[in-house]
Amino acid sequence: MGRGLAEQSMVFVQVIVGGLLLGAIYALFSSGLTLIWGMMNFINFAHGEFVMLGMYAALLVVLYVGGGPVAFGAAAALALFGLGVVIYLALIRHVVRGPMLSQILSTFGLALLLRYTAFFVFSANFVSLPQTSLSGTLDLGGIFLPVAQLVAGVTAIVLTIALHVLLTHTTIGSRLLAVAEDRGAAMLMGIRPDRMQALAWGLSAGAAGIAGALLATAYPWSPTVGETFGLIAFVTVALGGFGSVLGSLYAGLIIGLIQAISAYWLGAIYKDIVVYGLFVGLLWLRPQGLMGKA
Amino acid sequence: MTCGVARRRICGGVRMLLEAHNVAKAFGSFWAVAGADLAVEEGEIVGLIGPNGAGKSTFFNCLAGDTLPTSGRILFDGIDVTRATPEAHARAGIGRTFQVPTTFEDMSVLDNVMVGAFLRHPHRGDAREHALRIVELTGLRPDQPGRSLGTPGRKRLGIARVLATEPRLLLLDEALAGLTPGELREAIALVRRIQETGVTIVIVEHIMEVIMTLTRRVLVFNQGKVIAGGTPEQVVKDEAVIEAYLGRGARSHSRESGNP
Amino acid sequence: MKYLFFPPTGVCCLAAALLLFPMVFSDAFYRDIGVAFLLAAISASAWNIVGGYAGQVSVGHSMFFGLGAYAPLFCYTQWGWPPLAGIPVGIVLSVALAVVIGLPTFRLSGHYFSMATIAVAELIRIFFGTWALVGGAVGLQGPAVARGWWDLTFRGDLAYYYIFLAVLGLLLFVTFEIGRRRFGFYLRAIKASERAARSLGVPVRLTKLKALALSATFTSAAGSLYAVKTGFIDPDSGFGILVSVQMLIVAALGGAGTLFGPLIGALILIPLQTAANTWFGGSGSGLTFILYGGIIVLIARFEPGGLHDLWRRAAPHLWGRAHAA
Repeated sequence: MGRGLAEQSMVFVQVIVGGLLLGAIYALFSSGLTLIWGMMNFINFAHGEFVMLGMYAALLVVLYVGGGPVAFGAAAALALFGLGVVIYLALIRHVVRGPMLSQILSTFGLALLLRYTAFFVFSANFVSLPQTSLSGTLDLGGIFLPVAQLVAGVTAIVLTIALHVLLTHTTIGSRLLAVAEDRGAAMLMGIRPDRMQALAWGLSAGAAGIAGALLATAYPWSPTVGETFGLIAFVTVALGGFGSVLGSLYAGLIIGLIQAISAYWLGAIYKDIVVYGLFVGLLWLRPQGLMGKA
Repeated sequence: MTCGVARRRICGGVRMLLEAHNVAKAFGSFWAVAGADLAVEEGEIVGLIGPNGAGKSTFFNCLAGDTLPTSGRILFDGIDVTRATPEAHARAGIGRTFQVPTTFEDMSVLDNVMVGAFLRHPHRGDAREHALRIVELTGLRPDQPGRSLGTPGRKRLGIARVLATEPRLLLLDEALAGLTPGELREAIALVRRIQETGVTIVIVEHIMEVIMTLTRRVLVFNQGKVIAGGTPEQVVKDEAVIEAYLGRGARSHSRESGNP
Repeated sequence: MKYLFFPPTGVCCLAAALLLFPMVFSDAFYRDIGVAFLLAAISASAWNIVGGYAGQVSVGHSMFFGLGAYAPLFCYTQWGWPPLAGIPVGIVLSVALAVVIGLPTFRLSGHYFSMATIAVAELIRIFFGTWALVGGAVGLQGPAVARGWWDLTFRGDLAYYYIFLAVLGLLLFVTFEIGRRRFGFYLRAIKASERAARSLGVPVRLTKLKALALSATFTSAAGSLYAVKTGFIDPDSGFGILVSVQMLIVAALGGAGTLFGPLIGALILIPLQTAANTWFGGSGSGLTFILYGGIIVLIARFEPGGLHDLWRRAAPHLWGRAHAA
């Protein structure tokens, strides 16, 4: 009986660690979503699709250019950064001051467009990255962790903190926050709100893109994952507080944990139900989340 | 225009329609309003002036129910409305206009005013009649689309709309800014007409002409407090007021002019 | 009559056309499209009450549709009830859900409501897929053979067509009446500026809740009609995102917030969808969705008022040219 319990607790610890590592990646892409909310009071319904595209970008780089994790990570980040800026310039800045209907329809329609274009181009099959330098599993005292998961999770935490530092301790960060705070005043100070918001969209999409590349190293995917990740991003941002990157970090880890434990105790099909249920509960009880403004 | 039951509040022999006692509002650690008092008689027109950032807009929003005061009490006809919602304010008989006009763009002038009229006239026919009368009173054209109005028209529509709710107290938030001299004179005449029907008015303004001609009593705000009060003539000569607007050392007799 | 797409004579012509359509086009293929058109028009018009008039954009309206679809079939498979009796059950459930969602989200900004709708719809879809009581991933079926007229199991589409038409007529009438009364004015005021509406005494939260409840009622009815006609429902056809998207795009394309906008949208999209399915081989290839996504983005970017507004702007120029010529 003793050995059974030890094994069980090993498995449980593995589940927890796995959940935290995945949660770290949730934190990374959710911080992009929360950044846009904080900047412009705007919800991007296509954010999950940015993550999904990051995953496919990584795949394309590996298949056709043959790069390692750093290469495809950077490629995903840059590609999505560019896409974010383009989307802002072509679409978002025109709808952001319009009626609510066009604001919500704009990114919702974009989500459909991106998702089903991916379906068309890549088919509905699940794919995963071929062997990379991150393959293999580590044995840490009885806990078995895929190297990719570990590296992805740790990288995600580092990048999320880096984003937070960028926003709070650099000049460019304070400019972004100035525009978020008071557009008019920022203009009087010589800051160009349009440029800052385009930058924010680039950062937001870039964060999602890198998160996607990190996910791609450790988990298989298909075009549908965008929808799930989008909803997870909503929950994470709602829990952590709209506008708070640090809040996204804590919330992401918590969500990853909750998901993993739900899957372990209730079964894999229930992991999403628990998370979405948590979201509805949050809206009822504490819409401002852990650390943000409602 | 009458509405509701009047439970008059007697204060020193004079009826006070609106009272504010030590109202304060903090945003984080910054006290936008730091203990402001106000007493308005029924039928008065009271002006609220002060330099930008003095807290008068925040105070105004507290009176209107848009902002929740951190402390203090606001009484309307003896009833505590400190924490009442904007909707409850309207129902009680307190109306307000917005500094930046919030016209219902996709609706005609008449429909805009009808939204206000429906408060006291739930049936479409009555509401329409009432709204038409108000539209005529304010000199607007009922069928004009809301979005086709220029700023003066929008401000006027804002006033018409809130008038349709039959307020006993009307809070005007810089309702006369941005008008040409001719439009300004018309607007002042309109406000006077409104007062003559028995509506009490509190008006936040920067334009001295409005303050001097319309109001009988003025309160001056600075740094979250009321620093002076009296007739317009008295207030303009008050040293504390001059200092508030022009800083220390400007003891000369100067009038603030123009729009912010 | 400012919010009608057509003048009164136009409405009469439209009504006559709809009434006579299945008589003139008696081939099953056309009747099928007619029924699909009516169903889409009903769903979109129901969505329109809360999404178009009140401006509260629900992107998960399938939750009401699905509940309305499951209820009659569940009542039939569980207790042998006629599906007709299950329709009110669906409505009650949908209204309850509407209140549960609306109460917390309507005191926050509009985005919260939209996010909640998409999350709840997904939640219910996944949940129903795992719940054996409602058939899990397989779903539920209705009566194969009618035991009487109350089973609403007819051969051929004719009866369904007229039932759906009656429901559409009722819904449009209700929407029209609302538009003229205080409730309708308050909805439009809320859409235009909540802050101003509040200051005029509009009970914003309560009004939004009523709009959502009303919309949920008719959306549920649409779902019930769908289930009764196809005799089958499963989590995807009830709660799937395609259902939500279709409602939304049909209304938005024609003109959200107008009486006949959803009808116009359906008139264009249903034949388009049928054609696309034939050419591109069904929505499995995802091209329908790509098209939908693109249309939605274009509407959002260039003409949020849909074809209704586009027509309003273009018509004077067209008439002008016609008169000059």
